[in-house]
Amino acid sequence: MTPQVLMDGVVAGAMIGLGAIGITLTYSILRFANFAHGEFISWGAYLALAIASALGTLTGGDVQPIGPFSFGWTLPVALVLAVILTAGLALGVDALLFGPLRRRGSAVIILVMASFGAALALRNMIEFIFTSSPRYFSTELQIAAPVGGGMRATPDQLLTVAVALILVAAIHLLLTRTAMGRSMRAVAENRQLAGLAGIDARRVIRTVWALGAGLACVAGVMSGLVVQIRPEMGLDLLLPLFAAAILGGIGSVPGAMLAGLIVGVAESMTVAVVGAEWRAAVAFVILVVILLVRPRGLFGRAG
Amino acid sequence: MNAPLLATRALTSGYERDLPIVREVGMEVHEGEFLLLLGPNGAGKSTLVKTIAGLVPVHAGAVTLGGADLTALAPHERLRHGLAFVPQTENVFTTMSIHENLLIAAQVLPRPDRAGRIAALYDMFPDLARLRSLRAGQLSGGQRQMLAVARALIVGPSVLILDEPSAGLAPKVVSEVFARLREINRGGVTTVLVEQNVKAALAIADRAVVLVEGRVRLDAPAAGLAESDTLGKLFLGGHGRQHGTTTEDRG
Repeated sequence: MTPQVLMDGVVAGAMIGLGAIGITLTYSILRFANFAHGEFISWGAYLALAIASALGTLTGGDVQPIGPFSFGWTLPVALVLAVILTAGLALGVDALLFGPLRRRGSAVIILVMASFGAALALRNMIEFIFTSSPRYFSTELQIAAPVGGGMRATPDQLLTVAVALILVAAIHLLLTRTAMGRSMRAVAENRQLAGLAGIDARRVIRTVWALGAGLACVAGVMSGLVVQIRPEMGLDLLLPLFAAAILGGIGSVPGAMLAGLIVGVAESMTVAVVGAEWRAAVAFVILVVILLVRPRGLFGRAG
Repeated sequence: MNAPLLATRALTSGYERDLPIVREVGMEVHEGEFLLLLGPNGAGKSTLVKTIAGLVPVHAGAVTLGGADLTALAPHERLRHGLAFVPQTENVFTTMSIHENLLIAAQVLPRPDRAGRIAALYDMFPDLARLRSLRAGQLSGGQRQMLAVARALIVGPSVLILDEPSAGLAPKVVSEVFARLREINRGGVTTVLVEQNVKAALAIADRAVVLVEGRVRLDAPAAGLAESDTLGKLFLGGHGRQHGTTTEDRG
């Protein structure tokens, strides 16, 4: 096993961590496991791809890469627009599906099953619109450069890790230092009391959907940038996302990111030591172990 | 007499449509008044105040505050109209500090007013000021009730409704809580109190309403009620005509 395993794990873990933040926020506020969250990752990546391609075509198709990166100016612009559209998609799914179920007072299992249905529908829509062939943001070849400690990384990989860490810090500050963050924590702890304290829970729920889906979009674009874009990319990430959300402790943003990194490194080490065919099993094993040993996760509160 | 500040009109409510708990309750609370809501266990007192606060579905009737119909409004919208409610349990955010609890409640106010209002509440409750960084989950029962009351008062409500604030508190602490509630009421906040601690509560209230099986059975001045046998009869299931104003009197 080489130090490179650690670097590969951190890159994969950064994407898992970002996706897990959305899972942990929606779970702590809406109290159900949203299995459609992975599809926001896929939709985010495909929307960014479609917008970046359209922008490239509109500007004559000659988009030069920015500095050492493999992509041109169209991708950052597409990312911003895709974040907005993915947030809109999540709000649309909530308005059409989860919102009516909540108002009816549906049991948690109904919401979970509905999320399975939404996931299937969203994934098949991607295949219908974009086909199942793998796609790429860029076909530029990048050479991994030494980053110290015997590890190498491409500029795109380093960028994804940096973006993930910046976003985690920003979300953590949002939750702890702003009125909306306090409202989110209040609704997560006691929705009824939050209403009595003057908080509009519906507004908080909309914010959480938009935030979670926006982060999922960024995770999807990062995954598409350093790996590839496929309709199943969100589905494949789902188990690691849940493992990270639960390992980090439901509701904990730094916990989700740290746990994402742990899951990513564990997967990477498994590939190096046991074999690539066992990669998918790692998240499952981690999930089972946490649920048995410390169900509240690393940073979750007892109770 | 002036128009009531808070009123319910033939209010029927309950968690399930075919199982009303509160039945056709007509109740009026006037500005500055301290109203005590009494009744045996299961009479519907808590359900009534939760309905007024917007936490229990209304089957029929209306809730008005200052003439405005609140019946269809969510709890956060009722608070903006000046109606504050302190539930019996789970009435503070236990994972947050005292200061964060007050900050959350102050979010309803315009931004420039928030710090001043929190400072005024700290003046009113010096214990809370001293412990402001402490997590609310670590507070004693009495301190927690005071935080819950302070949280409700931050918006400067016209009506404060409390559901059994003495539950689980030591007698000495109950006296302190009641004295503070009377003080708040004398400061101009119309107060509605649901209480099992009848004698102590009657001593601070202006008027008492007794609910039995979801209906108003007595509406009378609090003074002298503790010494009369009326309450005992009602609490033990008496349905005869009682002194004061009964539902039958109002027709």
